[in-house]
Amino acid sequence: MWTMAGINDFFIRVFFRHHADTPVGGLNGTDGLYLYIWWVSVFFFVLLMAIMVYCMVKYRRRPGKPAPRSPSHHTALEITWTVIPTLLLTVMFFWGFSAYLKIVISPPDAEQIDVTASKWSWAMEYPNGKTTTEFVTMGTNDNAPVFYVPAATPVQLRMTSTDVLHAFWVPDFRYKFDVVPNRYVPFSFTTLPLDHTGADPEVKSFIDKDGTEVFYKDHWLFCAEYCGDQHSEMQAIIRVVDPAYYRQWRDTPSYDETTPPIDVGKLVWSGKGCATCHSVDGSAGTGPTWLNAWGSPHTFTNADPMTQADIDADSLLWDNYIRESILVPGAKIREGFTNQMPSYDGRLTPVEIRGVIAYMRSLSDKNDGQEIQGFDELNSDGAEGEGGP
Amino acid sequence: MTTVDRGLDNLAGHAGHHDEGSYLTPKYGPIATVWNWMTTVDHKKIGVMYLFAVLTMFFLGGVAALALRIELFEPTRIVDGTLTGAAFGNVDGASPASVGNLYNRIMTMHGAVMVFMFIVPAIPASLGNFFLPLMLGAKDVAFPKLNLFSWYVYVFGSLFGIASIAMGGVDTGWTFYTPYSTTTAGQPQVIAMVLAAFILGFSSIFTGLNFIVTTHKLRAPGMGWFDMPLFVWAVYATSIIQVLATPVIGITLLLLVFERVFQIGIFDPGLGGDPVLFQHFFWFYSHPVVYVMILPAMGIISDVITVHSHKKIFGYRAIAFSSLAIAAISFLVWGHHMFTSQGELGAMIFSFLTFFVAIPTAVKVFNWIATLYKGSITFTTPMLYVFAFLFLFSIGGLTGLPLGALSTDLHLHDSYFVVAHFHYVMFGGAVIAMLAGLHHWWPKMFGRMYNENAARVGCLLVFVGFNVTFFTQFFLGTRGMPRRYASYIDEFQLLHQISTIGSMILLAGFLVHLFTFLHSLFMGPKAPQNPWGGLTLEWETETPPIEHNFHHEPVVNHGPYDFDEVVPPGWDPKDYPLPEPAPEGASH
Repeated sequence: MWTMAGINDFFIRVFFRHHADTPVGGLNGTDGLYLYIWWVSVFFFVLLMAIMVYCMVKYRRRPGKPAPRSPSHHTALEITWTVIPTLLLTVMFFWGFSAYLKIVISPPDAEQIDVTASKWSWAMEYPNGKTTTEFVTMGTNDNAPVFYVPAATPVQLRMTSTDVLHAFWVPDFRYKFDVVPNRYVPFSFTTLPLDHTGADPEVKSFIDKDGTEVFYKDHWLFCAEYCGDQHSEMQAIIRVVDPAYYRQWRDTPSYDETTPPIDVGKLVWSGKGCATCHSVDGSAGTGPTWLNAWGSPHTFTNADPMTQADIDADSLLWDNYIRESILVPGAKIREGFTNQMPSYDGRLTPVEIRGVIAYMRSLSDKNDGQEIQGFDELNSDGAEGEGGP
Repeated sequence: MTTVDRGLDNLAGHAGHHDEGSYLTPKYGPIATVWNWMTTVDHKKIGVMYLFAVLTMFFLGGVAALALRIELFEPTRIVDGTLTGAAFGNVDGASPASVGNLYNRIMTMHGAVMVFMFIVPAIPASLGNFFLPLMLGAKDVAFPKLNLFSWYVYVFGSLFGIASIAMGGVDTGWTFYTPYSTTTAGQPQVIAMVLAAFILGFSSIFTGLNFIVTTHKLRAPGMGWFDMPLFVWAVYATSIIQVLATPVIGITLLLLVFERVFQIGIFDPGLGGDPVLFQHFFWFYSHPVVYVMILPAMGIISDVITVHSHKKIFGYRAIAFSSLAIAAISFLVWGHHMFTSQGELGAMIFSFLTFFVAIPTAVKVFNWIATLYKGSITFTTPMLYVFAFLFLFSIGGLTGLPLGALSTDLHLHDSYFVVAHFHYVMFGGAVIAMLAGLHHWWPKMFGRMYNENAARVGCLLVFVGFNVTFFTQFFLGTRGMPRRYASYIDEFQLLHQISTIGSMILLAGFLVHLFTFLHSLFMGPKAPQNPWGGLTLEWETETPPIEHNFHHEPVVNHGPYDFDEVVPPGWDPKDYPLPEPAPEGASH
């Protein structure tokens, strides 16, 4: 397609892989401005290089022949090449500013979702307390959470950080904002409607347990502000689904009173960021592994050691240690580690803390014979009424 | 430009410097010669010492950069955490899987070494030190002892900085953003690193002061402000920025120390401070410093392009004033580093002001291109580097536009696009210009020519390698690759691999240059007084210059770029036919 629209479409795909998934990021907003800057840049670059190459050839030195006299100053020319760029840049500034305003002004009646960033994970909490239970492998992160958001519906994320600066970037939306501790930062977006026709190859579908076809489109979420050791693992998937399915998903609790504590603990481990640092298979991480941890003696850099005798004497010693480590992570620091963990005080319910203790206990060879119940069994119980690909 | 014996030297009791040897000729035994260099107040020797020091830093920062590129060849981490502790004095003790740690430290090392220890002092302190007094016709800078002191401060600050990175484990990146820098395990080292930047800043201030006074007070008789070479203008504008901006990093450091020692909440939100405030302080210093890096480079290009095309610079005053305009506006645009973390009003103002700094920069590029028109262009290595500069710096400047516009920057901020843009300006601009200047002035500095064809091959490899390395990174950025990632999703692998291959070509180019220069030092043919036919004062003296620069104080009676009126010093008029005289009354 050799039309202007076709050529622009080609460049958008070369630059960004595909068109923006938000109206403000699209051709009437940010992507349109990109194209304007692109063509201005191409024009000036080609012009300058063409003149340069022309002069290189035409005015190359010839022995015995002096350079002819030529003016070294030309007021009209110099004013022209100052004024024209100034005008072009003024357009650029206003275009960028007006598109920016559309991005930063929050729409009314938006679905509000809380985002918590911490080293090194993203967590989203929906208005009714729902958190995601789905995790995928993304790059070197085996446990990237999948966050559901409704298509073509105004959404406002209320973002905060528990520790250092992070930045919430969804390249397909075309913008990012820094997430700052001790403050809420908004990130508002409205996506385009989901395409059901098959025209967009990135829109996929699965059949949920009711037998209906659910369409979805995944977007990368990256932390873009450097935040330390596992900055590059701080990734997630934003999954855009139709509003009706979104409401159904959101209103299905992640766990309820029938869910076994071990499964609650496992959901907390994967959903609240524990998995980033604490492995459950014995492999090394930023924090101690949970495999065979519960009930074992340990030494600390800033507290008295926990000996086998202490453990035998107090059956709740380890449970208390876990509870304390969740709420006040620096109280007892295991030898060989530094304290990198943010406090989870207020971020976990009592049920969830009990769940973590139960889960860690189940991972230990010192436990009393409990087995870990898997997600599959959980699903077949109907305790978690969610399908999912 | 002719030298006349004005007899004043004799009146003042100086017998001129007729019998004096080159500044490089050793007058003593080996140990005494070393002592002579270490205690010299000769700006030329200090310039050479600076050159050696900054190139050492460039090598160190370059090795770190190659390590990063090799790591990024694969999406997963090649170097695993177990190496971290052993290789880099891990303060985290045995925490074996701080896998990001080694990468992050090397990344910090690359950034901090290249910015604070290499590119800030690179051109002003080495080529500037050597040539500013020569171009002004002075015997030395205004404060020669301060000049030597600034070199020692620089060396001390660099060693201090490298020690705090290598032994302490600073992994904050060169920007030291709070609260990461004040709350992580390496915080005493972060204070040490910022202290190093502060010490290095003092060296900058001393050099800047020295150059400002030298330019005001030590110009040769007959040299008005608009008879100064444009390199001098550029270094002068740079010095003003250095003197005014550098104290701010000192204040920032003091606040960091206060916060840590007295627990006063300034930046740490845990104490009630504001982490974004640190960014304001940091960029209030570091943004003007970006122009400390690029302005002297622009000065080199202005001078080299005229000499190698024997053509008067187009728009001398526009270039000179745009240097000052850039220096002034550079203080007003720091907020464009924070579009994703500040309010709408600030973002609007800073975006607007940012576009203003683009205009004088564009004007300079137009002037350089116009200078080529009707010139007599040679294809020497310095000139090839000028062409490379015009190509790369144009890309660097144009890719700054979507970063200055608000909505587009929200996408590109902290992505590889910024990395690519920054390298196109700093490497494609400053380093390439430094290579142009180094090849241009090398014969004057060391008295020997280099192998022109070998240097051209080096230039070609650097140009190709640079583009392969960094052009790909624009696309990585627009497609969603965040910066400072040690690992990444598979979709980005191909572009990363091309980029890494480019960095190897770049390395090959630098190795060619290294061998060319070493070969020249030991085996190069003797350089003539004025190999390119330059008209500025440094070409009037001997090659290499005598200890006191000029046999007699030079007197200036023509402009620095009057190639259509003056036969270059040291050239036979037969080899340099002048064009027909201009008709009466014609202006040019």
